[in-house]
Formats: sequence, C-alpha cells, structure tokens
Amino acid sequence: MGLEYVKIAPGFEKYMPRDYVDLVKMGQFGRQVDVMDLGQFKELVEDHPMCAGCYMAYFIRIFYASLPNPEDTIVLGTAGCARLALSQAAVPFIYGNYGDTNAVASGLKRALTIRFPDKHKDVVVIAGDGGLMDIGFGMTMHSWFRREKFTTIMVDNEVYGNTGGQESGMSPKGVQLKMAPKGKQFDKINAVELAKVSGCVYVARISPTNPKRIAKVIRRAILAARHFGPTFIHAYTSCNIEYSIPTREVLADARNREKKDFKFYEWMTDEVKEYFEEMEKKEVKA
Amino acid sequence: MYFVAKVKEDECAKYNCKQCVLFCPEPNCINFLEKKSTAWVWPDKCKGCEICVYVCSDLLKRNCIEMVMVQAGD
Repeated sequence: MGLEYVKIAPGFEKYMPRDYVDLVKMGQFGRQVDVMDLGQFKELVEDHPMCAGCYMAYFIRIFYASLPNPEDTIVLGTAGCARLALSQAAVPFIYGNYGDTNAVASGLKRALTIRFPDKHKDVVVIAGDGGLMDIGFGMTMHSWFRREKFTTIMVDNEVYGNTGGQESGMSPKGVQLKMAPKGKQFDKINAVELAKVSGCVYVARISPTNPKRIAKVIRRAILAARHFGPTFIHAYTSCNIEYSIPTREVLADARNREKKDFKFYEWMTDEVKEYFEEMEKKEVKA
Repeated sequence: MYFVAKVKEDECAKYNCKQCVLFCPEPNCINFLEKKSTAWVWPDKCKGCEICVYVCSDLLKRNCIEMVMVQAGD
C-alpha cells in the first residue's frame, strides 16, 4: 500500500517482468486516468480466467480503471465468479469466507482509520448476488445498520454461475435454470430499496452500457464512503453461460435490460449531494 | 487453432471512435494507437467473444473488425 510500495528499487529495473515495468511507467499509480483513455495505458487488472464475453469481467475492468486512488485501496471479494478477475489486479485483494466480506471490511476500515488517521484508505467490497444478498445477507445488512464507511458493489449475474446454475435471491421470477427446472417461484429481491432504508448514503443501480457513467458512479460511491457512510452499487453483469446469451449479444442484452428493470437509478442523501455539487464547482474552476 | 479479432487498420483509421476499446471485457486486449488513430488487437489476450465486432458492425455499421483463425504460436 502506498506509492513507495509500488516503485521498483533502483538497479532492479532490468530484472523485473515487462508487465510490472509497464504498470509502474504507464500505469495508473500516482495519477488520475480518464476511463475514456482505456487502451492507451497499462490497466491494473491483468489477464484473467473468466469466460469469453463475460460482462462481469467488463465491469471489473472499468471498476479498476475508475478507482480514485488505486495505491490506497483494498478490494475484498468472496467465492464466486468476480474473485477470478479481482485477484489478478495490482491492488491488494482479500478473499473472505463466503458471505463475510462486509464483516471483514468493517474491521479492516476501522483498523485503517486508526493506523492512518491523516489519510483516506478506501475499502471496496465486490461480491456477487449470492455473497451479498443470499448467504452474506446478515453481515451485509448489519454493516449498513452500523454505518461503516466503505463501498459495497454487487455484481448481479442473477444465478450461482460457478456451481452450475442454481437460482439465487436475485434471479427474476419465473426464470428456468439448470438447477431450478420448475422456474423460480419468488420475486427478485429489491436490493436498492433495502440499501436505502438500511442507512446507505449513496445508492445506484446500473447496467454496464456506458463506461463513462460506470466510472462516475464508482468514483462517487468511493468518495461518499470516505466522509459520510456506507454506499452501495447494484450492477447488472449478465452470465452468458447460464442464461445462454451468445457472446456477441452480451452488450445487446445489457442494453435491453437497461430499458426494462435495470434503468439507471441514483439516490443520495442531501449532505452527499451538497458535497458533490461543491466538488464539481471546484473542478470547473480548476 | 482459435478465433481472434483483427482490426482492418486502414478502415479503422478513417474514424477516431475507440468504441471497441471501451466495450472489450479483456484488459489491454484491444488497444488504441494514437499516432495512426487506429485500434489494434493483442491476439494472445483475445478470447474471441466478438463483442467488438458487435459494437463496430452492428451498432456503428463501420465493419472495421473481422474474426480470423490463428494457429498457436502465430
């Protein structure tokens, strides 16, 4: 953690792998990159073993490109697809037991606040719908009730993709899956409303169709969590394997869902709104 | 033997759009060369999902990316 940790010790440049040298010289450390400049700098996340055309992998790629301070960030994940890409990035990653990510993040954030009182250290949880809304439900809710200051991002693929296609609490009603042959009998959990009533100060629902908007939402969620309280992003990241979407149509599917139940939605408390308005005014002046 | 995307650089250089780069799920797979104002694919990283082809051909109607068969070690 910190820039000193990233730099290559003098004299060792020629022995370091090419990827690492690129990361230090042309990467994101110590400077702000614009997500629209993707493809012109070395990204934090490396080659990952996620399926071809996976839009969870896409969301994670944009997530890493939009971190405000990658050198001062810790990412937490849990069992599920997302950890396959999260663990391949040049940002410290902690792998929680299934469902306890938000409990681990609470302790970590408190410890970092005591250890570095003069610095902002960002803690971000990225887990799937199973990790946050099914098995980790209790710990997720209680971290919000306690108003812990970190960001929770749910990458919602609406199924247990890793273990063969069981229905999850976030699967839409009536959907037939490999391990739910009769179709799901219950409604999809309304995670956004739950987050609002549980004490989150910034809540967003997004479908990954516009990289600039994803970056803006992620930056806002992280900055609001520094000062005010818990923040939550609900992102639609389709599972093209379990939902049998041809890889070429994955973006079309995301656009389609955006028109239906994943319309872009952003909610924040008044004090957070004021904070962002003031910040934007300063940016315009600069 | 596997499928990867290939950018037709002469065609691509006519536009300065970069949309394929922004929608690829693989990090640093499609990159952008500012000097020639064209996108280029790193074949080792490409998994052949064709999302870039969808963006370029179906959405933007520019047809600058095609899928080609490559041999291991090409």
